[in-house]
Amino acid sequence: MAKQQTEVRDLQEGSYVMIDDTPCKINAYSTAKPGKHGSAKARVEAEGVFDGKKRSLSQPVDAKIWVPIIERKQGQVVSVDGDDMQVMDLETYETITMRVPDDIDVSPDENIEYLEMEEQRKIV
Amino acid sequence: MFPGATDDGEGSHTADDADRDGANFVVVGAPLDVSTTFQPGTRFGPRRIRSFAEPFDDYDHRTDQYFSELGVEDHGDIRAWDNAKEYLEYLEGTLRGVVWDDAVPLLLGGEHTVSLAGVRAVEPEAVVVLDAHLDLYEAYDGNELSHASVTRRILEEPAVEDVFVLGARTGSEAEWERARAPDVTVVPPEDVADWPLADRLDGRDVYLSVDIDAADPAYAPATGTREPFGLESRELRDVVRAVAPQASGFDVVEVNDRDEGQTAALAGKLVREFAFARADGR
Repeated sequence: MAKQQTEVRDLQEGSYVMIDDTPCKINAYSTAKPGKHGSAKARVEAEGVFDGKKRSLSQPVDAKIWVPIIERKQGQVVSVDGDDMQVMDLETYETITMRVPDDIDVSPDENIEYLEMEEQRKIV
Repeated sequence: MFPGATDDGEGSHTADDADRDGANFVVVGAPLDVSTTFQPGTRFGPRRIRSFAEPFDDYDHRTDQYFSELGVEDHGDIRAWDNAKEYLEYLEGTLRGVVWDDAVPLLLGGEHTVSLAGVRAVEPEAVVVLDAHLDLYEAYDGNELSHASVTRRILEEPAVEDVFVLGARTGSEAEWERARAPDVTVVPPEDVADWPLADRLDGRDVYLSVDIDAADPAYAPATGTREPFGLESRELRDVVRAVAPQASGFDVVEVNDRDEGQTAALAGKLVREFAFARADGR
């Protein structure tokens, strides 16, 4: 899985993090102050990028954590067939099949933006 | 550790995917003590409540249950610092983790301000507040996160439709003015016992907040702003028993350390009554 390591303290709202081996987008990030004893802790609340499930974690701010490498790509809709559509990657010209999201109408020749991580994709 | 509870393991949590080993209740201490206006000391509340809950029997005769079998975990205290806004955000996240695990937070204050984090995490339709004070100041001494403004802030939460303040017997003129709005119902101490609370809460998701100063200072002297002519201990108990079966969150707040433990004992007993009644009523 494409990912890199960082420290919990470097996370921020809007960025991505791996929770339970799942790439998530951070909705809320808050830290507790350490006082004289113990270490500062951070709480992260996030939502699965591809499954939409809410997840949270609580870790010391200096703990190491994985951040998924998610690419934002441009594509062009080639054709739509029921729930599936053919999309051409505008950088590599490779054609891929993607599911049409329930809440989005697409038509051929339309340009779309999508997130890609390995074999998982999501239209922005 | 709250007597009869088990230790809570922290980690990652997934909504709708309980991983707290089936905990039904999670005790969270919130020793915030930054806006107390007369006698401070709420920072000692959580530890006092846990300590004075030690002599209570595990067995509850009324509901035929053991406290240690109710699935209560103690998360420990969320150490407080002097930035109430930041603290509430962190506390809210912790409590939301409890809610995601399908457990009921049992929040130990701390000043009443911490209830705002509880309400934000639970997102109830109705909030029942046992309190001597209206706590409806727009801001107290310029502080919108004062313990004297907490009910006002709770009313601003999008999910909250109604707030019922039981046992209130004092407030500023502006607070009483705000209390006349349809989203606030004030029940004075003398009417609490016979007030048809159940009818007003029927079928609704509720958060219950107990400011210990709702009790008469004779029963609860260890609190920052004592207000005579208050509720009897048994009246508090009966409200907690009535509301608990449909409450998704609970707190007891404003306990300080200025007595021989009678206030903390009452608070600890109300925590247990809440857990027994909720476990029995669902």
